[in-house]
Amino acid sequence: MPEAIIDTTDLRKRFGTLEALQGLTLQVQAGSICGFLGRNGAGKTTTLKILLGMMRPTSGEARVFGRRADDSTASVEIRRDVAFVGEDKPLFDYMTVGDMVRFTAAFYPRWRHDLERHYLGMFGLSPAVKVKMLSRGMRTGLAVLLALCRDARLLILDEPTSGLDPAMSEQVLQALVHHMASEATTVFFSSHHIAEVEQIADRVVIINRGRVTVAGALDELREQYRRIQFVFDDDAPVAPVFHAKGVERVSRDGRVLTVLASEGADGIVEEARTLRPVSIDVVPVSLKEIFLEASSVEG
Amino acid sequence: MLWYKAWLETRWRFLIGLAVLLVFACGAVFDYPAIARLNASVSAIDAPGNLGRLIREAAETQRTYRGFIWLQWYRQNLVQMWTILAVLLGSGGLLASSSGAALFALSMPASRTKLAGVRAATALMELLVLALIPSLLIPLFSPAVGQHYALGDTAVHSVALFLAGSVFFSLAFLLSAVFDDFWRPMLITCAVALSQTLVGALVGLPFSGMLRVMSAESYFRTGQVPWGGIGLALVVGLLMLYVAVRLVERRDF
Repeated sequence: MPEAIIDTTDLRKRFGTLEALQGLTLQVQAGSICGFLGRNGAGKTTTLKILLGMMRPTSGEARVFGRRADDSTASVEIRRDVAFVGEDKPLFDYMTVGDMVRFTAAFYPRWRHDLERHYLGMFGLSPAVKVKMLSRGMRTGLAVLLALCRDARLLILDEPTSGLDPAMSEQVLQALVHHMASEATTVFFSSHHIAEVEQIADRVVIINRGRVTVAGALDELREQYRRIQFVFDDDAPVAPVFHAKGVERVSRDGRVLTVLASEGADGIVEEARTLRPVSIDVVPVSLKEIFLEASSVEG
Repeated sequence: MLWYKAWLETRWRFLIGLAVLLVFACGAVFDYPAIARLNASVSAIDAPGNLGRLIREAAETQRTYRGFIWLQWYRQNLVQMWTILAVLLGSGGLLASSSGAALFALSMPASRTKLAGVRAATALMELLVLALIPSLLIPLFSPAVGQHYALGDTAVHSVALFLAGSVFFSLAFLLSAVFDDFWRPMLITCAVALSQTLVGALVGLPFSGMLRVMSAESYFRTGQVPWGGIGLALVVGLLMLYVAVRLVERRDF
C-alpha cells in the first residue's frame, strides 16, 4: 500500500452552530488521482482549506506528508510541496501574467520553466496581459499553469473546471492527466462533475454533511456496487429485512423491489430467493448513482 | 517577491500621495511672500474668544519664515495629509479580499507573519518617504523666495511625524486584521485621527497632544525633541502591529 499523502482523523470544523465537518476521516495515497465529491455545503472546500492551513480544525487531526496541517511552521513546509487551485481561481488581478509567473516561481526552487513555456502556449497566455483582463478560461489556464510548474508532490484542486465551457474543461483535464502521466504527482480534486471524476480519477471519496460516506478505488466501487431488481407475481413485499452485508437501500414500486448493494450482491440475491421473486436482475451501477446514494439527505 | 507584491498593492496610494505632498510643499514655500504681506494686516484683527486667540497666535508664529513653515507645513498640511495617507496605506491588506486573492497568497510557502510583516514594512517605508521627501523641497526651494530653512529642522520634524504618526497606520492595520473590508478600518481610524488633529486643536482638548508630538512643537518652540511622546506612540504602535499579526495568524480564511 503506498503511503498516505493526506491523512485526516475525526476532523471536525464548527462555524457557530453549523458543523461543517463531523468527524471526517480519509486517506489519499501517493500517486493517485483522487476525486473528492459531495453536494454543495458538504464540507469539501473546508477540508481543502484545512489541509492548506487556511483554516484550523475545531478538533481532530489533518496531516499532509505526515506533517500536521494546523501547525504554522509545518504548514509552510507542507505548502512547499503542494500546489493549490481554488474554486474562484484566486489570483492577483493587479499583476500581469508575467508578474504572476515570476511571483509564484520565486517561492519554488524547482520551478519548471519548460512547462511554463508549454502551458503559456497551450492556454494562449501573453505575459504582458493583466490578470484582470483574462477570460474565465484563460484565468483557469493561468491558475493551472501556476500549479503545475511548481513541481509539487501534491496538487489540491477545488472545482478546477468550474464555469468553463466543455472544450476548455477538456483542455484543463488533459493538462492534468498528461502532467500526472509524466510527473510523480498526487492529485486531490473536488468536483461536481461526475463525468470528469470518472474520466481522470482512480480513487473517489464522497462526503455528505461533513462525513465520508464512500471511499475507494473507482474500479472497485464499480465492481462492488450493484442494483438488484426483484420482480414478483404480486405486489413486492413491504419492508423486507435483509441480513446480508452491503444493503444500502431498499425501495419498492408495485411488483418491483430494488436493492442497492455496496458489496456482496450474490449473498443478497441468495437471501432474496426465499421471497420467491419471478425474476432477478443484477446490474452495474454508475458513479452518478453511487454519488446520489452516498450524498442523499438521509445518508 | 512579497515586497514587490506589497509595492504593487500600495503604489498608487503612495505615488498619488507623494505627488500631492510635493505640490503642497512647493506651495508652502512659494506662498510665503504673499502670506508675509497678509500677515501684517491679520495681526491687527481683534477677534474675540478662542478663535481670535488662535488667529493672533498663528499670526505671531508666522512672523518668521521658520515659524511660517512650521505652522503651514508641519503643523497643518503635512500632518493632516500624511495622516490620511497613513490610514489609507494601513487599511485593507491581507483580509480585504479574504475570499479571493488572499487565498492565493496563503497557499504560498510563506508564513502569515511574513505576509503581514512585509505588507506593514512596505507601507511604513512608503510613509517614511512621504514624511521626508516632500519636506526636503522646503530647504531646497527656500532660497528662491529669499529665505533659508535648516536641513536639520526638516529632518527632526519629518522623523518625529513618521515615528509618532505611525500609530495611526498601526491602528488602521490592526482594524484591517479585524474587519474584512477596506472601509471600516479607514473610517474608524480617520475618525480617531480627526479627533486628535482638528477637534482637539480647535477646542484645546488635552488629547490634542498627539498633534503636538507629530508636529514636534516642543522642538520648534524650545529645541526639545518630544522623545517621551514619540516613544509612547512607538510603543502603542508596535503593540497594535503585534496584535494585528497575531490576529492574522489565528484567523480562518
